[in-house]
Formats: sequence, C-alpha cells, structure tokens
Amino acid sequence: MKKLIRIVVNGKLFKVRVDYYRTLLEVLREDLHLTGTKNGCNEGECGACTVLLEGKAVYSCLILALDADGREITTIEGLLKEGKLDPLQQSFVEYGAIQCGFCTPGMILSAKALLEENPSPSEGEIKTALAGNLCRCTGYKKIVAAVLAASQRS
Amino acid sequence: MSALSVVGKRLPNIDSFSKVTGEAKFCNDLVFPDMLFGKILRSPYPHAEIVSIDTKMAVKLPGVEAVMTAQDTPKIKYVHLGGAYEDKLPLADKKVRYIGDEVAAVAATDEKIAEKAIRLIRVKYKILPAVFNTEEALKPEAPLIHGDRSNNIAASVTREFGDVEEAFKQSDFVFEDRYEVQAQAHCCLEPRSCVAMFEQKGNLKIWTATQSPYFVQKELAHILNIPLTKVRVMEIHVGGGFGARSKVCEDEAICAFLAQKTGKPVRITFTREEEFTTTRIRHPMVIHLKTGVKKDGTIMARQAQIITDNGAYNHMGPAVTGVAGSIVASLYRVPNVKIELLTVYTNKHFGGPFRGYGNPQATFAIESQLDLIARKLGIDPVEIRIKNANRYGDITPVGWKITESCGFSECLREAADKIGWKEKQKDKPFGRGVGIAGCIHLSGFHVYTDGDFSSALIKIFSDGSVELSVGSADMGTWSKTALAQIAAEELGVTLDQIRVVSMDTELTPMDLGSWGSRVIFIGGNAVRRAAYDAKWQLFEIAAEKLEANIEDLDSRESRISIKGAPQKYIKFSDCVGATSPHKVGNMIIGKGHYDSPTELANRETGVSNISAAPIFAAHAAEVEVDLQTGRVRVLRIVAAHDIGKAINPTAVEGQIEGAVAQGFGYALTEQYEYENGKILNPNFLGYRIPRTNDMPEIMAILVEKIDSEGPFGAKGVGEPALVPVAPAIANAIYDAIGVRINSLPITPEKILTGLKNNAQREVA
Repeated sequence: MKKLIRIVVNGKLFKVRVDYYRTLLEVLREDLHLTGTKNGCNEGECGACTVLLEGKAVYSCLILALDADGREITTIEGLLKEGKLDPLQQSFVEYGAIQCGFCTPGMILSAKALLEENPSPSEGEIKTALAGNLCRCTGYKKIVAAVLAASQRS
Repeated sequence: MSALSVVGKRLPNIDSFSKVTGEAKFCNDLVFPDMLFGKILRSPYPHAEIVSIDTKMAVKLPGVEAVMTAQDTPKIKYVHLGGAYEDKLPLADKKVRYIGDEVAAVAATDEKIAEKAIRLIRVKYKILPAVFNTEEALKPEAPLIHGDRSNNIAASVTREFGDVEEAFKQSDFVFEDRYEVQAQAHCCLEPRSCVAMFEQKGNLKIWTATQSPYFVQKELAHILNIPLTKVRVMEIHVGGGFGARSKVCEDEAICAFLAQKTGKPVRITFTREEEFTTTRIRHPMVIHLKTGVKKDGTIMARQAQIITDNGAYNHMGPAVTGVAGSIVASLYRVPNVKIELLTVYTNKHFGGPFRGYGNPQATFAIESQLDLIARKLGIDPVEIRIKNANRYGDITPVGWKITESCGFSECLREAADKIGWKEKQKDKPFGRGVGIAGCIHLSGFHVYTDGDFSSALIKIFSDGSVELSVGSADMGTWSKTALAQIAAEELGVTLDQIRVVSMDTELTPMDLGSWGSRVIFIGGNAVRRAAYDAKWQLFEIAAEKLEANIEDLDSRESRISIKGAPQKYIKFSDCVGATSPHKVGNMIIGKGHYDSPTELANRETGVSNISAAPIFAAHAAEVEVDLQTGRVRVLRIVAAHDIGKAINPTAVEGQIEGAVAQGFGYALTEQYEYENGKILNPNFLGYRIPRTNDMPEIMAILVEKIDSEGPFGAKGVGEPALVPVAPAIANAIYDAIGVRINSLPITPEKILTGLKNNAQREVA
C-alpha cells in the first residue's frame, strides 16, 4: 500500500507515492533520480548514503521514506549553487581528497554538518565527525586536511 | 631535460568536479528503459553435488523474465590462468564447492520480485564432506574438491637456485620460523555492479566496475562464444578495485547471459554481504622460512615452503603463490634459494589479485624474520637491511634485473631517519617502539601470453583541442590525470586542454588494464609515444608553414614555434586546419605503443625478467602498546618510496596513504570469522577496516631517482605501499614489548598472551 509523502530535497518540494518499506535512500535514488547519494552497504555501517536531514548528517539507508515526510533533506546535488562549488567541495578538489569518489558525497555531507555546528573544529573533532564514513582508497589524510582547510577559509 | 611544466605538478584530478558534485555515474546509477534486475542463487553448502534444479515456480512468478542455470549456457569455463588451471563455470553444473557458489540466476522487472524468484528455485543437493583448511585438504582421506586434483593440490612447484644445503652449512646461524597470514577483503566502497544489454545482431554492451576492460572483453567473448568485436566494455566510474576487479567478475558473465536471454538491459548489483562472501580475497598463507646468515649479517640462503589456501577455485591462486615465491628469492640479495610452493583447494571463498599479489604475505615472513636475525646477531635492523639491499646490476635468482634507478638503500635510510630511528633507540619506555621493513615489487608483470604492452591515441581536433584515448581504467588511482599530464607535457599543452577517454573497448586502443603497478610505467610510455607522434605530425606541417627545420621547432602552449624565436609560431589549430601534403583529413591522430622490454614468465624454469622496472620501498613504524588491553596504537608510519619521478605528487601520496591504511588493517584489525565454511562477519561491523580515528600519522617520502626507461623517469607505486606495513608494525611491537607475533592480524589477545608468556619465562 502506498502513501503520498511530501519531502523538500535541495530546496525543492517533491510529492512521491511510496510503499511503507521503502528507505529514504531508495526514494532519493530511484524515484527522484538523485544518484549522487550512494548505497555502500544498506545497513548503516559505511556512510556512503549520508544525507543531511534538517542539517543533521544521517544514514538515509536507515530512514524510512515515510519518516522523511514533511522534512527537509540536502543531498550532494544540493551543494552546487549556480555552477559554483561549495567551499568544502572546492577544498576536496584542491587537497586531492578524492580517489574513486564513491565515499565522497557522504564524506562531504558529514563534514558539512560538522562545520555548520562547529565552524572551527580541531583535527581530532574532524576525525570523530567523519568516523562514520568509510573510505578504502585515501587513508583519510587528505580528506581531513581538506575539511580543516575549508573550515579555516570560512 | 628542460624544466617541466605539467609533469611533477600537484594538479587537481580531472574527474574531481564530477565526483565532488555527485554527477559521476557508477554502474548502480545507470537506468535504462525496460531494464531488468538480476539476482543470483547461491549454494548454501560448502560442498555438494547438484542433483536437480526445479525452476518452475520461479519462472511462473509475474515479473520474472528469465531464469537460467548452467544448462542454458554453452558451459565454457573462465580462462584466467588458462590450460589445466581452468576450473570454473559461470553457473555451477554438477557441483558446488563453497557457500556462495553461483547456481542459478534470475532477471525480473524489479529487485524484490527477483529476490522472491530466487527463493522459489528448488535445488536438490547431495551434501558432500567438506574441508576448510589446507591441513585437512591435504590429508589422503580428504574429499576431492576438483576430481582431477589429487590431495586437492591445485598447483605444486619446487625450485632451487644455487645450493641451499651447502649454503646453510657455510652459514654461521640458521633460523627457522613459521608465519601465518589471514584472508583480507578488498572492501571496495562500491559493491560489485554491472549493466549488460544486447543490441541488434547480438552485440553486447556492458558497463561494469572493472579495472581491466581487456580481460572482461576477452573472457566474455570466450564464455558467450561470440567474437571479440561483439563485446563492448563501456566507460564508467569505478568505486575502487585494489585487484578485486582486475579480472573478469562472476556477475559480468551472468548479467550478459540474462541480457542475451531476455533481449533487455539487465543490472546486477551485489549486496555488501555478497561483496564480502563471494568476491575475491587476499590468499591466506602459511610460510615456513629458513634463512642462513653469516655472523656479519650477510644472507647466505633462504628456503621457504609456502602453502596457499586457494579456496574453492583457482582464479589467480597459483600465480599469487608464484609471486610470493619470487619475493622469497628476490627481497634482498639472496645467492641461494629453495622454494616449495603449494596451492591447495579448500571449500571456502577463493582468493584472487589483491594489491601486492603474494608480496605482502611473503614480506611479512621475510621482514619479521630478518628483524629477529638482526637482534640475535646484535646488528642494527636498519644496517642489516642496507647491507643486504638489492643494488643496480643485480639479477635475482628468478631473473629480475635490478635497474640503475634502484633506490632501496635510499628508502631505508630515509625511513629510518624520518622516524627518528637512532634517537628512539635510547630511553625507550616499555610499550613504545619502532620497527622497519623493506620491500621489492615490480612495475608491470609480463605474465600473460597476451603480452606486456599498452597503446594510446592522441587526437588533435581542428580547434586545437586534444583527446587522449587509453584502455586502462581509473578506479580511483588518478591514472587518467597522470597519463594526461604526461601527454600534456610531451605535446606542449596544459592539462585542462586534454579530455581523456578511457576503458571503452570500442573507442580506446588495447591495454591489459590497471593492475601490477603498470599503468604509469607501461601506459605512460605508450601515452608519451602517442603524444610525440602527434607532435611530430604538427612539426612536419609547421616546418613547412614556418619555413624552418624540424629540429629547430618547439611545442608549448598549443603552439609550434621556432626555438629561440618564439614570435615565429603557428597555432595547433592552424596546423590541423592547414592544407598540407603532410596531413590527411581534418584531425591529427598520434599513435603510441609500448612493449615493455621484458620476458614472458617462464613456467618451466621460473627464471625470467618479467619487469623493466623493479620498485622498492621502506616503511618505518612507531607504535605504543597498551599493556592492559593489548591494543596497539600506531603513532606514525614513514613510507619511503622509490618511484623514479612523481608525475603528480598528490596522486602518489594518495596511493601511499591509502595503501598504508589497507596494510594497517591487514596488520591489526581485519579478519574473517568462519564456522564450517560459513562467514560469520560479512559486514563492516564485524570485519573492521580502518576509520578516520584509527589512522596513524603518515609521512610519505618520494625518493626520485630518475628511471631511464620510465616516462619522464617514472615507475609505479600502487602496490608496494601496502607491502611493508604489517612487518614494520610487527617489528615495532617487538621493539616495544619484546613480543614476537608471527601471525596476522596482531590482535590484543595475541599481545596479551605474548606478554604473559614472557613474564612467566622471566619468573621461571
């Protein structure tokens, strides 16, 4: 049985009919075709599905779409404004913090949530904030450096 | 050489924008009209005969468009190592040999229907006794996993170079130790995924997360029994590889069969559990190592017995064991070597290529033992390594020629120096220590009769814009960017003026793929030649238009100019658009091909120079051991790498840092838990890979001794950065607490047991 939900994604209102068991991750990717958010494990352990739910970093694979009804979500696609990269995105590019890119959307959003709450984090605080996002390519060094640099710029 | 303007610069990755905005598409992001979803039915038993398969109920389920078993296929086995090593079908025919073995496949209009259909397939199995470790598998009464392989021995090779018995007699000390290393999962963040579709007249198009479109094309053509030209591997972003995807993967053939049967696009994406349980792993090994030395530390001889747990199928197992054996013969100067290599089948998930390919296993044994030897002899562990380090002019017993750019000693000195080796020998608190380990690896491995080559194309369009076309895949290694930097430097343009086309087997020239640390050295040389060819064609036209001699021409900033008179120039676009007897058509196409000057691996003698560029590294680790809990904190790793020339230093550092993280996990935290062949921890919670707050400080040191054969002097780095990590950490742990642990991973339990044993020994 489907229910109509209203979700605001990246500032735009969407009305979607969803089965009760669909996750927010599935609805974003399959119904709204926002494929920037990735499915790395589907069980809340890798962070590739991280989105911002009212500014807080959450695992969208663990959230039922029904629970997102009436709420605001930011995905990686929402960061680019009129062709300009967000300072975090810019920093990731400059610091070489991206290799395969699969963890990148989730990683950036977790970092964004951190910087909204704590604009001048220490390296340790950055590591803690990103501990929920796995990366197998980079060893994290350049990712942490990029987030630190982005925080120092703004 | 004149000053470089693109090579050697920390330029941003050319795919950055796409990846950082979420625009970059991976296989699971692809959607096509009428696309079906494929699922695989897997064996729940580690060893069983297939008595019957009843697909009636699955076929009848609305939404199901194909249900396939082996009987619906030509039943052609994967090639991989070829010949007698071919032992696996895409779908099991008579037997299943591990929990997860592919038995049937379904394509349906949505994933949930496909999953339900899988559950409706009734398979009758006759359960057979199974073996889960090499000891059991080798027993005479053990069940045979592959009927034609007695004692479950997939491969057995014994080689001797020199005279080890005599050398041991002449040694002042002989050391004998046993080492054991565990299976390791690649844990690519992107789970396996592919989309296949057949177009008119049976032409297959497949998007797949692969490192080697070449092998996907070759194997699928073979398995489907269709010509190579009818298999097109497409370009797509790939979420990691590390060797998991350097050969054809099982979902690819199955997806192709489903697409062929249904006439529709089919997408298969693995769950994380399938990724952990049914994709390749690093081979577990038991290594008995016997080394003879003189009292001054000179290595006289090494004898090793290596027993590899192959898992249920060969894949590249015998070759991985072979590399481990070659490392025993080649790491440091070893005049006499005997290696006994056994690759043994068991009823478990099977190994394949994984960054290092047998080297991490062998080096853990060699470098742990050399540390022990140094201490027993009273020689500094750094000095004993420098004493025995490979040097230019050496040829190892297996035929590897050490080239002039060899930077092994430099790496050892740098690593020791930057960790503060000498200072840290004094006033050491118990629980804190430093360790060092070295490694040898190769840029490129000439192991296939297909050859050891790469090709590239450069196209210059009429507006002067440039396209570089390469067959290898960039699964995160920055190869596209680095290769473009090589092309840009040679051609005389900036990086952002080059667009790179990769992977697509219809558009790009042949390349064996991204594995064996070969892309920069072999691929880079092909790219450089293609750029040179294109440049030369521009020169021919420009010489005519500028009325100059070709030797006097220079190419930079998209212009051909006269050396010393840069005001006399002609733009690329004007060359391409010019009417000239030297030009055909309105495009310049430069072709480059590089055949590495190497010898094909010799399966008879085991001696051949399979690489034109051996590469070296040394890692030093500083650790702190918690004496209460046994937890090891790795404070710092200094990783010194002999890379010839860093085409892009950011990229090289990225490779080193990422590999060190994987080596860290291999050393301390990553382990599969099994029960009768079933994996108990097929998830990130149970199988621990490092997170941000686990990581030590990593200092990457790039030792640049220009290699005369490499493009702008460059050699590879992708694999060696993983190899020395575990032994460096193990040696640091010994330095810290006097406990020598000869098996991986080094868990807190092993540390605490070691401390307890030491304490009891002291009291006694």
